[in-house]
Amino acid sequence: MTGQTPANTAPPKLELRKITKWFGSEGAGVCAVDDCSLEVQKGEFVCVVGPSGCGKSTLMTIGAGLEAPTEGGVFVDSRPAGPPGPTRSVVFQKFALFPSETVEQNIKFGLQMTGVSAREQESRLSEQLRIMGLEGFRKAYPNELSGGMQQRVAIARALVMRPEILLMDEPFGALDAQTRTILQEEVQRLHREKHYTVLFITHSVEEAVYLGDRVVVMTKRPGQIKKVIHLPRDVVWKTGDIERAAEHPEFIEFRREIWGLVREEIVGA
Amino acid sequence: MIERWLEEIGVTSNRAKAKAYGAISLSSLLLLWILATSVLEWIEPRVLPSPAQVLRQFFWILTEPFSGLRLPGHVWVSLERWGWGVFFAMIIGIPIGVFFAWAPWFKTFANPVFELLHFIPPFAYIPLAVLWFGASTATQAMVVFVAAFPSFVINSQLGVSQVEKIHVDAARVFGAGQFATLRRVVIPAAAPSIYTGLRIAISNGWMALVGAELVVGKVGLGFMISQGQENASVATIFVGVITIGCLGVTIDTIIQRSESRILPWRKNVMVNQG
Repeated sequence: MTGQTPANTAPPKLELRKITKWFGSEGAGVCAVDDCSLEVQKGEFVCVVGPSGCGKSTLMTIGAGLEAPTEGGVFVDSRPAGPPGPTRSVVFQKFALFPSETVEQNIKFGLQMTGVSAREQESRLSEQLRIMGLEGFRKAYPNELSGGMQQRVAIARALVMRPEILLMDEPFGALDAQTRTILQEEVQRLHREKHYTVLFITHSVEEAVYLGDRVVVMTKRPGQIKKVIHLPRDVVWKTGDIERAAEHPEFIEFRREIWGLVREEIVGA
Repeated sequence: MIERWLEEIGVTSNRAKAKAYGAISLSSLLLLWILATSVLEWIEPRVLPSPAQVLRQFFWILTEPFSGLRLPGHVWVSLERWGWGVFFAMIIGIPIGVFFAWAPWFKTFANPVFELLHFIPPFAYIPLAVLWFGASTATQAMVVFVAAFPSFVINSQLGVSQVEKIHVDAARVFGAGQFATLRRVVIPAAAPSIYTGLRIAISNGWMALVGAELVVGKVGLGFMISQGQENASVATIFVGVITIGCLGVTIDTIIQRSESRILPWRKNVMVNQG
């Protein structure tokens, strides 16, 4: 740890404590995650990187409450997190928009489920549509939109809940390079403006260095935490676009360090 | 050859071509029929009546009661029996199918019974239906029900079991309970498969209906055909058979067309496929 951020003594917003996950029976099945502990402070953007199949998505699924860990627990503000709910919004890799509902219905879904008043729904909806540049697509069905637009809808659907924690599972993995770049920059901007608390799973080291305040590197399966790297937060290169950032010596240095760690896991497999 | 000729006379879109081919094939059959009966007289009228005879008989039954009712009356009675049978099969079959897939314990419990019933042909229920309901609409409707029911159950179950887990997860993340998840996510996703079930149910039910009417009843299209046999009127049989065929095609077309209206999000998918 480079110690560039001061030690935070406040209880973490989201804490995964000593998580172990077995698929199939314990000892005989597959161990996806082995004794992982992870904390995300309020307003912090934590990226998890690791070789594919290392259990990083499992970690997210457990963090969201969609799956129960074999051992360990998930805590929000030091209290057991319980079943999935609107305090923890998720952006899935494959968007997971409801194909039978329009953009508008998809974004409103969570608000309707949690009993937000119709007027409030409408105002939050139009705010999100504006922020994500979706105003012209209110009545469109997901299959009428490009992948990039679909993921914007998925992000809007998560943000409209005003979640305390945002979990993103390789949200840009299924997008083409140009669209990915644009959305990475938008997420960067949103995080800077609104200080979301984010747990972000990715296999892209560049993405992690550009977006993260902290990068957690995982080992190959069974996934353990290999190393945690603190990144500087208020530096100029993070405020610009990702191409520019990628030319900055500091970015290059972090990328090399993190990539080295990931490579060890891949090559050593 | 036909393709070129069609393009020359201005039929270029695939849809129009399909229609043109349909028209050509049907009129070829009609032409062959006219040739074989009226023109060349290959086949005796008591074996195969000419189109003119069938048409004459058609108008005759349309205006004069045959076995108590005019043709529209027979059609209506048949449609009514069929409609009730399919309707009850639908409102009972779809929920059971959805429940089969949604609650696996229920499937384990109920499936043996379902499998057993599934292998009893609908016509085997005719005697039972007669004893239970006598000479009412319910008798044939029950046979239609038995024929239509399994495809609702099977296809609803298939549709629900193919719903992607990630969509169910998303619904949970955004606070949906079981019922809301079913209503807003699972059932819409299963709808195309349920629709397929509906189409199969409709045609199975239609076939079972005519079969049941041949055996039991004093009105209906199937009964009309059997009366044609009694009276040695091949033309009547043909009127009945052609009416049954045309009605079947019409109903199926209406159902098929209604899909994009009832499932609007499927419109693009269907356009892309065809």
